Amino acid sequence: MLRFEATQMLLRHIGDLPIVSNLGPTTDELWHAGHRDRNFYTYGNMGLCSSIALGMAVSTDEKVVSLDGDGSLLMNLGSIATIGREQPKNLLVVVWDNEQWAQTGHQSSHTAFGTDLEQVAQSCSIPRTATVNNLEDLEAVFCDALEQDGPWFIVAKIEEAEYMPVAPIEPEMTLYRFRQTFGASGV
Amino acid sequence: MAWNDIIVDSLKKWDTSLVAYVPDISIDRVTTLIDDDPYFHLVSATREEEAIGVAVGAYATGRNSAVFMQSSGFGNSINAIASLCIPARTPIPIFLNLRGGPGEFNIAQVPMGRATRPILDTFGLVHFTLEDEYNMEKIVDGALKLCHANRQPVAICMTQLLHGGKLA
Repeated sequence: MLRFEATQMLLRHIGDLPIVSNLGPTTDELWHAGHRDRNFYTYGNMGLCSSIALGMAVSTDEKVVSLDGDGSLLMNLGSIATIGREQPKNLLVVVWDNEQWAQTGHQSSHTAFGTDLEQVAQSCSIPRTATVNNLEDLEAVFCDALEQDGPWFIVAKIEEAEYMPVAPIEPEMTLYRFRQTFGASGV
Repeated sequence: MAWNDIIVDSLKKWDTSLVAYVPDISIDRVTTLIDDDPYFHLVSATREEEAIGVAVGAYATGRNSAVFMQSSGFGNSINAIASLCIPARTPIPIFLNLRGGPGEFNIAQVPMGRATRPILDTFGLVHFTLEDEYNMEKIVDGALKLCHANRQPVAICMTQLLHGGKLA
């Protein structure tokens, strides 16, 4: 499964729900798959994607989707424990797991050596979890997760592909656009 | 009014109902007040940079937020502030228990405690240091106003002289 085709598939189902995307290719491919004001692209702060999504989930009733990566999430595994403690029913975490730090030279990540992120989520009391290896299975579980209470934690095993051009976006405008969709006044 | 009540009142005045924190004994008197007050949602993070992420997520949906941590934890959160808060311009007040000042007993707390304000200066972030309750209502209220006007984090450094925290 390629991350870009999977991202395109998610966007077909997600409607107007907010998305937070991990830095690098996840953010770039989300922009190329379909720019929306409700895409909260990140550019740095490696590891914080699901933490940002958690802050959103406890502040809105809408379902919030986090598109994370294995290498980034490994940097902030505590976030899974905090999600387990908070139990936000409206949080849906998808982890693109390519078992490597692709952008830094394709070094193997810990998920290539036995770390099972779904089991980590289960042991942190996250009630709805899955690991999927193909687009059809991801689509089925993602559609369930949109309909049913979570928190959800879905590990999607992907293959790396050639990178797309860096998305022409910047942080201040991303935050401004995103906040406006929640009716936030001012800047 | 006591320092912890002043902080809670100021947060409410600025409609700041999401607080993310890492526990600290010296400022427990204020985070306990927050935890006991249904106005607030207090998120307990495992690490300070995580607290920054949670606070930014809340702000992105239109909910004002703040973080509480110790100066050692500020060290843990530097890249989150530098690569998320500053580029995106998020007005997150950072309430810090500033270690390393008069009365410090732990050598391990001195370097990060002493470096906290110079690091904030390097980022160009505004900070205020509280050593007593004199004028504190005006300072905290003014700090939150400035934080939102400037759309950048502001640090409010609470010293042992203010909170009388752990000395040994």
